[in-house]
Amino acid sequence: MTAPSLAMSGLFAGYVPGHPILRGVDLTAQSGRITVVLGPNGAGKSTLLKTAAGFLVPLRGSVMLGDTDIGHLPAHRHIALGIGLLPQGRSTFPDLSVYENIELGGWSMRSDRKRLAAAVEAVLTRYPHLRELRHRAAGSLSGGQQRAVEIARMLVPDPTVLLVDEPSVGLSPIVARQVYQELRALKAEGRTILLVDQDVRAAIAIADYVYVLGSGRNDVEGDRSAFEGDLGAMVRGWLGV
Amino acid sequence: MITHVLSIVADGVLLGLIYAITGLGLSLVLGVMGIVNVAHSAFVMLGSFLAFELFRRFGVDPVLAFVLALPVFFVLGTVVYRVVITRVQSAAQTQGLVAMFGLMVLIENLGTIVWTTDTRVVTAAYTNTSLEVGGVVLPYVRLIAGGLALLLIGAFWAFLRFTLTGRAIRAMAQNPEAARIVGVDIQRLSAVMFGLGIACAGAAGVALAMVFPFSPNTQVVWLAWAFLVVILGGLGNVANTLFAGVAVGLIQAVCTAVMPFDYVYLVLYVLLAVILTVRREGLSSAVRRTI
Amino acid sequence: MFSVFLIPTSTGSRAAAAAVWAAWVAVLIGLAAYGLFGTRLFLLSTLATVFMYAVLTQAWNLLGGYGGYLNFGLVTFFGIGAYTTGILFQYYELSPFLTAPVAGLVAAIAGLLIGFPTLRLRGAYFALVTMIITFAVQILALNLTITQGALGIYLPRLPLSPLAVERLFYFVFLGLLVLVTAVVWAVQHSNIGGALVAIREDEDAAEIVGVRTVEVKWAVNAVSCFIVGVTGGLYAQRIAYIEPTGTFSFDISLNVVLMAVIGGAGTWQGPLIGAPVVLLVADLLRVTVTSEVNRVIFSLIVILIALFVPGGVMGAVSRWRRARAAKPDDVSGSPAP
Repeated sequence: MTAPSLAMSGLFAGYVPGHPILRGVDLTAQSGRITVVLGPNGAGKSTLLKTAAGFLVPLRGSVMLGDTDIGHLPAHRHIALGIGLLPQGRSTFPDLSVYENIELGGWSMRSDRKRLAAAVEAVLTRYPHLRELRHRAAGSLSGGQQRAVEIARMLVPDPTVLLVDEPSVGLSPIVARQVYQELRALKAEGRTILLVDQDVRAAIAIADYVYVLGSGRNDVEGDRSAFEGDLGAMVRGWLGV
Repeated sequence: MITHVLSIVADGVLLGLIYAITGLGLSLVLGVMGIVNVAHSAFVMLGSFLAFELFRRFGVDPVLAFVLALPVFFVLGTVVYRVVITRVQSAAQTQGLVAMFGLMVLIENLGTIVWTTDTRVVTAAYTNTSLEVGGVVLPYVRLIAGGLALLLIGAFWAFLRFTLTGRAIRAMAQNPEAARIVGVDIQRLSAVMFGLGIACAGAAGVALAMVFPFSPNTQVVWLAWAFLVVILGGLGNVANTLFAGVAVGLIQAVCTAVMPFDYVYLVLYVLLAVILTVRREGLSSAVRRTI
Repeated sequence: MFSVFLIPTSTGSRAAAAAVWAAWVAVLIGLAAYGLFGTRLFLLSTLATVFMYAVLTQAWNLLGGYGGYLNFGLVTFFGIGAYTTGILFQYYELSPFLTAPVAGLVAAIAGLLIGFPTLRLRGAYFALVTMIITFAVQILALNLTITQGALGIYLPRLPLSPLAVERLFYFVFLGLLVLVTAVVWAVQHSNIGGALVAIREDEDAAEIVGVRTVEVKWAVNAVSCFIVGVTGGLYAQRIAYIEPTGTFSFDISLNVVLMAVIGGAGTWQGPLIGAPVVLLVADLLRVTVTSEVNRVIFSLIVILIALFVPGGVMGAVSRWRRARAAKPDDVSGSPAP
């Protein structure tokens, strides 16, 4: 798999005109790498992912997928171009079955039902434990199982660029570790991953490159090695102590 | 005695099926989109007059009108969605209510201008014939209208359960944000949903026209019946709506058997009040859950 | 032209506020003077009707405008009030002028009964049930013996000339309007008004911060129904004959919503603007078109206002004033961030 890179430059974005949350962010998620974005609350991390996923239109600047500017395309076009989003918190459809949840991940492929069925089948083969649960209502599953459903649902269209927003929130440490392992596995398949996280330690452990945002701007950035030793100082810096 | 009771039950069930489709559109639109369509009964009335005009001008059988009403009202519903609802969706709830209230008054009075306030009936070849089973008399119109209603309910149930679009509609009701993430175009699917709700209202109007006389300015009565079905059956659940409709039909059949027809409406309000009082918890929390 | 009647809220000077109050008082004095010296029966009668509808719209405005709970069946309480004074005259020969408060009380009790199951739910349920209940009450009025069914109830004509009668009701309804507007103004500037607006904007949040939403809604609805009942009771004397179809006419409910929405719901000025605008335009139209066409036009206006001009006349005026106030302030007013 040759995944494209995702590059943002001079990006301004926000919810209220005149009050951008992102104010000139430059960031590149290299092809086939895990790029981690850290930062204190309110730094604009979630806004960054929402813009990259097409839910927010940039006020200024560009979002480039390979050589294409996707900043002004609607969200469903992003999916067709191979961008997948794993949102923060629970996002299953609780009263639909696991199978129906996963199948809806292929909504963008609905014109080709054979391909859709094959894609769902591939995902179920990848996660055999979900196949066993496929008739259960998603809302009746444990938090970890629901996270698996969400990941599986994201993977149905076989996205090459994954946008992941705080994947371990609300999960037990064991399940959280599995989620990060899965992200590593997805990277090993050649996918580009942009990971936004509060769990600094876990995120840096799987990162190739790290950006730190502060109030909507780039703060510091560098390879994983540059961050590993200096975590304590950085976190203290955010807290202002 | 037994045949008397049986005929009340049969009457109630057949009427109830029609009431179920009268409430179904309101229930789905409320359950999936959170919109209280006050103009629902105005579309029911238009459905009745579609049957009336098709029969009067072209001699079209109401059964065919029932089928024709579905696409016609679907389109009408999507237009109303685009023109009215998309504009008030992000605004305060009262604004949407006022807009739909205005729409109801508009349709009712346009109807009065076109068709006057005269009471109309639709008569088909089989209007005055009936089927007799063990002493119970079943008028063909009621059998046919009830059968059509049951078919439509079955179609809606299957659509929401077995098709990808139907599942996407349910997904949208359960978690609109997540639906957006998988690429569902919420505006477009909501337009489809609203169109289906109005299609259901139009078809219900045809079925009601087969059984009851109607006129433009009495349409709000059907809003009351539809609302009762919704309150009883909960929001957005097709099977529950079916049972609620039948229950309302049975209540009405029993009431008409024992008291003057006018008082049935009083029973209806008392029922509404009681159910609203008893079920309020269920109603407010069930909005986005039951479909 | 309406901007004259807006009370400047924060930025305006004391002088501007005084000028606005002076304008309202001038209108009131002008109306009182016409009531005393005017001799055109038609105009007196039309204005009396305008005042009556303005009272109803103010009452509607309390719960509907401030609280966001739309009563689509206000005529229920109007009719109950009219029948209360009607029946009390029929059986006890009591003048409606004496029994109007009783009419208000009966209507308020009816409001509490209808509010009990619906006001604990969100606004849409209240709106639907109020619309439906009109029909149930109308059926009662048609079928009960105490109301004399479709025959209706005759009340005595007052021993005055037609002009004097209209003059009397002109002042009765004008006085009521001043009183009710004062009540609405007081509510708007009290904790209750704040609670109502909080309910309208976000009821869950209001509840969390400690607004006793259910009690507020019940109380305000009861007050609103009381006012409407009193008005209905006086109306019965004015037209001297009540019967179910006209007294419980859906048109009255509809007119009140139109007036509130057009004038601007949730402001004390809105009903004072909406009632004359709707009635005078309707009167002008009545000459040329049927009442159905009339209602088609007004329902279109309501839809357009709901879609494009939230807040009606008052909303548009305050937006226009804000826009005008913002421009010259740009240079000096706003501090640099």
